Amino acid sequence: MSVPRARLLQLMEARCKLFETTFNPEGIRAGNKILRQRLKGPALAGYYPRRIWTMQEFQAEFRDLHLMVDDEKELDRFEHVSLLKARGKGAPKKKSGPPDARKKK
Amino acid sequence: MSMFRAKKFDLGCFTNIKIIRDHSKRKAFEAAEPERQALRYIIRNTTLPLRTRAIAQLQLTQMHCYTRPTQIRNRCVLGGKGRGVLRAFKMSRYNFRMEALAGNLPGVKKASW
Repeated sequence: MSVPRARLLQLMEARCKLFETTFNPEGIRAGNKILRQRLKGPALAGYYPRRIWTMQEFQAEFRDLHLMVDDEKELDRFEHVSLLKARGKGAPKKKSGPPDARKKK
Repeated sequence: MSMFRAKKFDLGCFTNIKIIRDHSKRKAFEAAEPERQALRYIIRNTTLPLRTRAIAQLQLTQMHCYTRPTQIRNRCVLGGKGRGVLRAFKMSRYNFRMEALAGNLPGVKKASW
């Protein structure tokens, strides 16, 4: 027993209506597969872990409670710089005023 | 391309310029993805006039290369390496080995048979 094509099309249409898909019996390329794709931007953009807080923000959180938080990295850096300065190997002083125009030649 | 870079540094992993660049590309792609998909839809839709589709093709090719998903590459979050990166752990094979041997990766253990 064969089913007429018109009847099958009716079935297809009803099915498309029911499952909210596009009814496209001729198989025309309407680009719907692009619309069906999910956006992958959020997953890709979340690949690298984001910075949650900086040390300054962390210290500020505890300032209201009158608690001091030591930034050990920063303290180590200060110590290193002070040692350099003691040996006379520190960074040069900032210039004051505009650069001399005549000197530049 | 510095215009895509975050105004305020926002990475919490190992950082070098390649990681920053890749991160900027990821964010640029995320922002441009709906537009890209819309253009791709117009291009693939054969019921639209040929001229519209050609214009859409041109627009898509003229978008900035940072908004292109093929520019994105998975890099190691511990060392920034671009090759030999295990997708499931986001780590290069050497860093993965070191972390696994140190017991920092739950469920990973050295096999021997």
